[in-house]
Formats: sequence, structure tokens, C-alpha cells
Amino acid sequence: MLTMRPHLTTLRPSPTTVSFTVSTASRRETLASQFLHHFLLGLRIVFGLTTLAILLAKSFEHFKYLPHFLSHEIEKAPWSHIGPLSFASFYFVFRRFHTEESLLTLRSLGIQTSTLSNSYLLPSNTRFIPTSQIRDILIHEAFRGFEVRYYLAVVVEGEGEVVVVFPNLLPGRAIVEEVWRSARECLYEPKG
Amino acid sequence: MVAGNGLLRIFWPSDAPRNKNHGTIIGWRNSPSDVFVITILQDVEPRKVEGALRVGTLFRDSPHPIRQMYHLCGTSSMHVLGTVNPTVHSSAFDPGHLLAFTEASRSIPAIFCPKSCNINVQVIIFDRPSPHRMQYMSLSPISLSLGDKSLGSNVASYSLGGHELEEEEERAEKAKLVEKLKLHTVIKHSLSQKEHLLPTILAQINCSSEIAALLSKNAYVLGTRQKRSLSVSEKVVESATTLRDYVIAVVWHVITVWVYPLLTRGFVIGLICHRMVAEVILRVLEWRLRPDSAALKDISATAQQVDIRLQQFCYWPIQYLTLRKRKDDWESVTDKHPDYIRFYNSLWLVANDVIIGIALGSYIIDNAPWVAWQINTVVNGWTVEGLRDMILWLTDWPGGLKLNTELASFLGDLFIWVIDLWKECVSSLQPLLPHVIYFIGFSSFAGATMPISMFSDLLSLLTVHIYCFYTASARIFHWQLTIILSLFHLFRGKKHNVLRNRIDSCDYDLDQLLLGTILFTLLFFLLPTVAVFYLTFTSARMAIIFLKAALDTSLACLNHFPLFALMLRVKDPRRLPGGIFFELQDTPSVFPHFSDPKDTSPTSYVMLKSVPLSLRAMFDQYFQLGHRIRNHYLSPSVILLLVTGQFLPPIHRKSLYSLQYSMLPAQRASVLEAWQRLTEQSPPITNGFAKMPNGMTVHRVRRG
Repeated sequence: MLTMRPHLTTLRPSPTTVSFTVSTASRRETLASQFLHHFLLGLRIVFGLTTLAILLAKSFEHFKYLPHFLSHEIEKAPWSHIGPLSFASFYFVFRRFHTEESLLTLRSLGIQTSTLSNSYLLPSNTRFIPTSQIRDILIHEAFRGFEVRYYLAVVVEGEGEVVVVFPNLLPGRAIVEEVWRSARECLYEPKG
Repeated sequence: MVAGNGLLRIFWPSDAPRNKNHGTIIGWRNSPSDVFVITILQDVEPRKVEGALRVGTLFRDSPHPIRQMYHLCGTSSMHVLGTVNPTVHSSAFDPGHLLAFTEASRSIPAIFCPKSCNINVQVIIFDRPSPHRMQYMSLSPISLSLGDKSLGSNVASYSLGGHELEEEEERAEKAKLVEKLKLHTVIKHSLSQKEHLLPTILAQINCSSEIAALLSKNAYVLGTRQKRSLSVSEKVVESATTLRDYVIAVVWHVITVWVYPLLTRGFVIGLICHRMVAEVILRVLEWRLRPDSAALKDISATAQQVDIRLQQFCYWPIQYLTLRKRKDDWESVTDKHPDYIRFYNSLWLVANDVIIGIALGSYIIDNAPWVAWQINTVVNGWTVEGLRDMILWLTDWPGGLKLNTELASFLGDLFIWVIDLWKECVSSLQPLLPHVIYFIGFSSFAGATMPISMFSDLLSLLTVHIYCFYTASARIFHWQLTIILSLFHLFRGKKHNVLRNRIDSCDYDLDQLLLGTILFTLLFFLLPTVAVFYLTFTSARMAIIFLKAALDTSLACLNHFPLFALMLRVKDPRRLPGGIFFELQDTPSVFPHFSDPKDTSPTSYVMLKSVPLSLRAMFDQYFQLGHRIRNHYLSPSVILLLVTGQFLPPIHRKSLYSLQYSMLPAQRASVLEAWQRLTEQSPPITNGFAKMPNGMTVHRVRRG
């Protein structure tokens, strides 16, 4: 429910600037999934605020404003329990459950791959490759476990390894082919 | 002109004015379809600006020659690129004169470009880095280490085991594959001029702030302003300031002409004397008996520490002079910024080191008897008495393991004789220990690294006997293992053919077989006894190696921690660029300013931002160090060496701690060169204050 098969979203404000995003986030087309999304968002907020309140109450030794059953428990619990628990709580509150990877193609500038980190707090991991360093963009196949996966790769001038686009999701061949076609079309100026 | 179906690329600063006023866009034109906006001068006519640019009145009173700026930005002239919020609206699109519309509520400009032109517009909005705060953008990450020596070749020349060679081979194999990959590219795209321009554009971004400031300062030339004579009160204020200025100027003159040269000359002479002494000590530390033998600094941690400190002291004046040169040029020149970070990082580290050292030293001196007693207990109790007890225990069926009593007692006696001899030596040195501790305590006023490195050396000196035992027992164990192996071949009726390096079958006589089998059995049953001794000394040796590695790592931390860079990363991440990244912005579908709001070419808005250097890149050298230690001591081949009792060579100091030298140049400047650099009449010393137009002196603020 939370995540789904990787799907491609293309943003094309002009033919020379295209952004491809492959994401496993739910598209929230049905009412149920929309409800679930908002419910989870609310849950996150409630959890985060509760943890914050507990931490504040514990550090200032001020339990008046907490509900009665909670304040009693927290007063007794030592820091060695509360610390890791609140850490875990914050981890899940800020945890991103879907993966999102994108490729931004800018004609005459270059291409940029980026992967969202799995926490809402950390910045995404991006890599920009100027056009002058791109030797080629190609689709290749690789064995991964017992299957063959097609992946989009950028061969970078003077580097020992190719840069794999969408390295974590490795979307299927249909998506990869589409991205490859439009990325090449976008990146290089037409002949003539 | 822009060809049909072309791309018009506009770089637009994010801090350009956003109000609805009429203005003129000034910038570089890299090509007809590639423009870079520097600034927007408001409420002036484009024609006037064009004239002023041609005559050069807009660059009046520039602190440095404007030619240098042109050179930096890779262009020859500045142009009027267009108009913002034009009063007279023309319906024809002219790439030579753009029409842009801004609005306070919208962060992005709207570029007038009707669909019929068949042009795609790409507006790249950048955050201007402030050169005064030493921010800049760069395609490649800033390098925190001095790149004049390759670490890779260093490792190769001191490679010890097979795994480093293997790694080297792998690298060569990969290079071959990369070469092959080049052949796979079917169509080679020849790069257009626009695609080559990215580095130039980054330089233009880095310069834009300073030029914009200069232009807006001189913008008053364009306006029509009446000259008004000063009022009485203004005249009073002016004369008062001039009087104050006069007094300051006289005092300043006395200081610069009389006091300052004397002080600098004395300081330079002091520096050179220090430099000569340092040169002598460095020569001693680097002296080798033969070209391939180890120098003093390769053997001893203290010598290496002294070497690092002295080299730093030798490098600082040169580095400082290089940094002073920065002030002769525009602030936008970014190639000295890594030097700045390196210089202050090493200064800060040394200061830190001295502070920690003073605390540590005063503690050691105050508690010298206690520290001496503690060290004595550890040295005597663990490495002499403890080892002796251990050997005695081993000779007496340790843990119920029935070893060969005769062999065990023979080996045990052998080691105990040597231990007794060693004990006598140590006990004769024992009264000296408090003095040694005092010496270490006083030395730590030169930095906490000194006592640590001295302690490391003391440790290797006081455990020489363990090293000897390890070598001896390893030799015995290895011999026995080899003999057992060859007798095992005999036992199977085979032998090792040395010439072909393989196992051949062989017809042995009966007596040969019998004797060999008996010897094999004997040696096999004696193996556990020898192995137990070998195990003891090897584990002691490994413990010492790991202790020394820990000490050396702490030395590396004190000498090389990127403290300044970390501080900058928190304070101002844009001073540590790690690359750039683009962010696609939402494009408004309707532009209300145009005569036909829907009639606009496809336009994309992209934000260009600087990526701060990642922590991983900052600590890259530490990761390399960890990798090297792991490769040398925890690789399977090393474990095989240990199991078969072959000698494990200690890792070469130079290959392990090249990290510590990464902020120093490979070749230090000679005394003569240093003297020349220090005494040359450099303009920054007399011209530390830049003259500003109206006779005012402006203090250059040191940034930190």
C-alpha cells in the first residue's frame, strides 16, 4: 500500500530540459490510498510531537502537562530506556519509506543523477556530469542474483567506472528505454 | 543569430532586483544565444549604459585592473543585454536585446520570446557566491590536501605483500577495459562551443558579485544629479574628519617609515636563523647511510614528529606570502582559497596541539613519581614478570594440555635466561625513569604529539626482547612446519621437485621411508609445544603492533584533523564547494505582462546551487589510511603468513603515514629561496590598505 512498482514521471518544461523521476511512492489515485497517506502523515506528526514532549518533560523534570498514566511511567523510566526509544521514534518519524531517483537532462550543460536519501532530514545525493565529460549514454544488461536487469549507464570520460542511473531501483526495460531515448534527444543538439 | 529550433541560455542572478521598475541588464555575451546577466541597473537608459561601458566610466576607481577580470571571465567586453520591464513594448523578439519582466511576488523573471521564434529558453538562476566571504563555486570538489605528490605511487614503491601488487594489476586491467570502452562509442558527438563553456561560466559566476558591486557603485555617473554646494554643517563635519584623518595620517607615516621596516627586518632575520637551524636538524633526520637504508625519521616516531613540525615551520612563511599575494588581485580569484584553508588549519592544529600538550605536560610533571611508578609496573610487571610467569606456566602442562615436558622446559629455560638478562638491563635503567618522565613532561610543552610519539618510541625500545622472542620462535616454528610438510610428502611416496616447482612421485627405499616416518611422527607430536610458544610471542607482538598503530593514529589525528574545514562546513558551507547541482523549478504557464499571455516559447527555469563538500570527502585520507592498515594486517595473506610462522614485516612508516605529509609540499624551499621570498619588496606589505576613491582607507577585514 505504501509503495508500489517503480513508475516514471517525466517533467518537460521545454524540449531542452527534461527531468525523469522514477519513484516507488504510491500515486494516491484511489480514495483509500489517499486516506492512508494522510493517516500516516498524521501518525508521524503525533508520534514526533509526543516524543518531543516526553523528552522535554524528562529533561526539565516537569510532568504536569503529560497525561497521568504517561507521566507516571516516564518519571520512573531511566534515561537509558528513554534515549534509545526516542531515537528510534525519531528515526521512524523522519524515515522515508519510498525510494525516488531522478535524472535531469539539460542541453549544453550536462546531466545530473540524484537519489533521495531515506530520511527526510538528510539531503539527497546528487552527481552532476558536464556534457564535456559524457562519453556516451547506453543501456546495458547485468546479472543480479538469478535475473538479468537492464540498466541505464553513463560512460564518463577518464573514469574507471560507469555511472549507473537509477542505481537502487533499476526500473524495467520499458522505462529505461524511454528515458534513454528522450535523454539522448534532449542532451544533444539536432544535426544539421 | 539564434538558429531556428535553437536554445537561448540565460544565467540570471537570484538577488537581482524584483520590483516593477524599468532597468537595464548588463552582462557577458558568451555567444549570441548564451548570455550571462551580471546586474540590472535600474532607471537608466540602455543607450547611456552602452556608452558608459564603451568609455569605461562604469569601471572607474576599480581596485584592480578590469582587464584581469575580463581575462578571468574569458570575454573581452561587457554588453547591455536587454531591458527589464520596458516602458515601450515591442512585439518583435531580438536576441541581441532581451526583454524581461520581473515582479515582486515572483522569484523568476519572465523572458519575452514568442512561440513563432522557435526558440527554447533556458533560464538558469544562480545564487551569487560572495567573494569577500571567500565563497565560490567549482565543478570539482575542493582539495584539502596538497596535490603535488601522488599517494598511489608512494604505496606502490613501498609495497610489501602480494595484495598490493594484485591491486596494482587490477588497476592496470581496469585501465585497459576503459580504453576498450572508448571503442564502443559509435557516434562521437563533437562538442559545441556552448558545451565547453561551463568552467568559464562558473568563473563568471564567481566574479559576478564583485563586478556587480563595482557597477552599482559607479551607477551614479549615469544618473542626472545636480551638484549642490555643501551646507555649513556639512562643511564643519568635513573639516573635522579631515583633521582627524590628518593626525592619523601623520602617526601612520611615522609607523610605516620608521618602526615597521625595523620590526619586519628583525622578524625576517629571526625567521631565517630559525630556518637554518631547522635545515640542519632536518638534514640529520633525513640522512641515510645508504640510499636504500632507512633514515632516522622512518624508524622513530619522535624523529618523524620533529620532522613534520619543522617542515611546517619552514612552509608557513612561504604559504603566508602566497596568501598575501591574494590581496593584489580581485577577490574573485579562487585558486588561493584551498591554500587559505590549509594554512589556517595547520596553524589551528598546532595551537590545539600545544594547548593539549601544556595540559598533559603539567599533569605529567606534577605527578612524575606516580607516572614513573605506573610505567614501571606496566613495563616490569607485564613485559618481564608477566612473560616469565607465562613461560613457566607453559612449561607446566598449561590448561591440562599435555605438552612434551622436555622440549617445553628446554625452550622455557632458553627464553627465561634471556628474560633474566633483559631484566638486569631494565633494572639498571630503572633509576633513570623519573628523569625520562620529566623530560617527556617538558617536551609536551611543544605539543601533545611529542609525548605520544616519545611514548611510542619508548614502547618499541622496552619491548625489543619480545620482538626477538617472536622472531626466534617464528623461525623455529616455520622450520618445523616445513620439515613436517616435506616428510609428509615422503610418507606419501612423493617429493617436491624444486626444478619444476611441483610434487613428483618418488621411489624411496624401505629404510628411508621408515626413518622419515619416525621423524615425521616425532616432529608432529612436538609441534603443539613449539606452536604454543609461538602463539604466545606472536600475540604479544601483535598487541604491541596494534598499540603502536593506535598511538600513531592519534598522532595522525592531532597532526592532520580537518578542524578548520569542519568548522567552515558548519559556519559557511559555500566556502567548501564539492560540486554543483541543478534544481528544476516549476514553470508558470501564464505570463501576464505579455501582450498575448499564452504566446511564449517553452521556457525552463533551473536553479544552480553549490553542493557543500561531503564529510566522506573531508575524511577521505583517513579512509585511505584505514584501508591500508586493514590491507596490511587483516588480509588473508597476512593471516597465512602468521599461521605458517613466516616473518611479518612491520608496515612501512612512510606508506602508512603519508597522510601526515599531505599538507606539506614534497620539496621544501631552500634557505636561500626563503630569504629571497621574504626580503623581496612585495607590494602588499606597503600597500596593505587599498586606496578607495575619495581618499578614504578601508581596512581589509580578516576572515576566519
